[in-house]
Amino acid sequence: MGWIDKVDRTVGALVGSARWLVLPVALILFLQWPLRDFVRAGSREANDLGQWIFALYVSLAMTFATRERAHLAVDAIAHDYPPAVRAFIDRWGGFACVAPWACFMIWTVAPTAWRSALLLEKFSETLNPGYFLIKVAALLLAVLALIQALIDVMRQR
Amino acid sequence: MESAGLWMLLAVAIVLLASGLPAYAVLMGVSCLFAVAGLLAGAIDYGVLTALPTRIVGLLETDLLQTLPLYVFMGALLNRLPLADRLFRCGVALGGSPSIATLGLGALLAPMNGSVGASVAMLSRSVAPKLEARGVPAAESTALVCVASTLGVVIPPSLVLILLGDAMMRAHTEATNVTREMVRIVNTQDVFRGALVPAGMFLLLSLGVAWWLGRTAPTRAPAERPRAMEWAIAAVAALFVVGLLAGVAAGYFYAVEAAAMGGTALLLFGLATGDLRGGMFGDVLRDTMAVSGALFALFVAATTFTLLFRAFGTDHLLDAWVKLVPGGATGAAITVLVVFALSAFVLDAFEIVFVIVPIVMPPVLTRAPDAVWISVLALLALQASFLVPPSGYAVMMARSQMKQRTAIGPLARSLAPYISAQLVVLALVVLIPRLAHLAEPKSTAAPPAAKIDDDDDAARKRFNDMLNLPPPPEE
Repeated sequence: MGWIDKVDRTVGALVGSARWLVLPVALILFLQWPLRDFVRAGSREANDLGQWIFALYVSLAMTFATRERAHLAVDAIAHDYPPAVRAFIDRWGGFACVAPWACFMIWTVAPTAWRSALLLEKFSETLNPGYFLIKVAALLLAVLALIQALIDVMRQR
Repeated sequence: MESAGLWMLLAVAIVLLASGLPAYAVLMGVSCLFAVAGLLAGAIDYGVLTALPTRIVGLLETDLLQTLPLYVFMGALLNRLPLADRLFRCGVALGGSPSIATLGLGALLAPMNGSVGASVAMLSRSVAPKLEARGVPAAESTALVCVASTLGVVIPPSLVLILLGDAMMRAHTEATNVTREMVRIVNTQDVFRGALVPAGMFLLLSLGVAWWLGRTAPTRAPAERPRAMEWAIAAVAALFVVGLLAGVAAGYFYAVEAAAMGGTALLLFGLATGDLRGGMFGDVLRDTMAVSGALFALFVAATTFTLLFRAFGTDHLLDAWVKLVPGGATGAAITVLVVFALSAFVLDAFEIVFVIVPIVMPPVLTRAPDAVWISVLALLALQASFLVPPSGYAVMMARSQMKQRTAIGPLARSLAPYISAQLVVLALVVLIPRLAHLAEPKSTAAPPAAKIDDDDDAARKRFNDMLNLPPPPEE
């Protein structure tokens, strides 16, 4: 299963590298207030920039949380299960729940994201560039969720 | 098939408890299963399901949700920087008892923290050992950590408040679309202001309880005194937090900007003092991304779930049921309190805000149009439920985080006065809705309700104009 490990490492490197994006989000949104109230220019550009960086960040963060096992769960009953049962539920239950959702999302959002990317769609109110990245982020979120669900099933067998 | 949504809820509860799978995965899985069943049975239309991508893109472009990673970032920084430790020692040195200093610290830092869980982790690690060193019994110490950690639920501008404000705005818009009454839609700022007075009342009562209980207790005071630099840091931190709170409440800047200021200021503080070194900084970024991802996943899954819930028409069924509840607005408010209190035994605040609020609130708000009052009641009910042993969320978290695990009996006795204080505030707000409006500026007072005579699109446009929302994205 060498190729699965390679895919796993690639996904890990991709989503892990995005952890720095919270810093530009914080800085840009921090600057939004002085830009709006004192400089009186550039605040809408900062808002739009912060928007698509945020979209990319959270779309990658969902899979990062899966890899870090950080998702919220209620395991008041399940923590008493034998480890093998727990592992089976985690592997196949997680796949059965997430993969159909991710497939549906990819099927329905891909044409929209593709069209938007081809047009380099801008923010409708400000006409600033980069709006297409938000739609691409929605597609990325679903693609990564599907890949991670497949990795989790195939790697732990 | 209107009842299908209720079966979905039941299925989520059973699978969540029995499997131990993440809540977001269970919500997605149950939604997919019921979507297939609904399509096969002809109960739902495929076209409704294709609205999902638009809704997810909508989440990614919501300004308010940008606060999510920023608050988590602040929480992760607070968890690792020795700021809480310094503030606590300065609080005690000012003459406050350790109990009062703990509650004061909770009030100061909880609004900046990401969640009840993050606050419990921070206080258990930084303050609980100091309470123990000063001779505070373990049960009292755990109770104080629980109460201080939940202050962020009611003191603005915490993440729970921001997200609840956003969820209430959506629920209120839906409710007014049904009632066709021309009222001002509640927004996050309204919920902030609404929570201020009840939160202040609860804080004062809790401080009174802590003072009363601690007045005769023997304490061992360690000889250490804060240094001048620590006093300066504590003063600047306190002023900064109060400034943020005042700025957001007064509308000088948005919640998202306040969160960004807090995050940037804490980051600069950590770098300037040298407390945030290489490995620790990496841990902060990792924690921030993991928790942000977990919360956003929950948001995405809840959006999917509520889309299906409405596609089956279960919202109409709930609406009909809420109409049967006697007691008018007060009856509807009590319904909310009961639903929230029951949910909080199993679910975290975020799960309740993302899943329960969009389902329960629209029908309730058609009966009780004072959305600010209902929001404040929901916040108080949430906070109270987190404190009820043995399964209250804060109680469970604190017991698992504290070095010394406290037995439920003594902990329940230590928490009882604080829960009583909470119930007093809750009862007062139920009986006197005006308490949720005392901090409102006069200009935001709701205009008298009027029926809308024109079509839905025109009404929606008017609402958007009032809220200054951007137009929906073009597909």
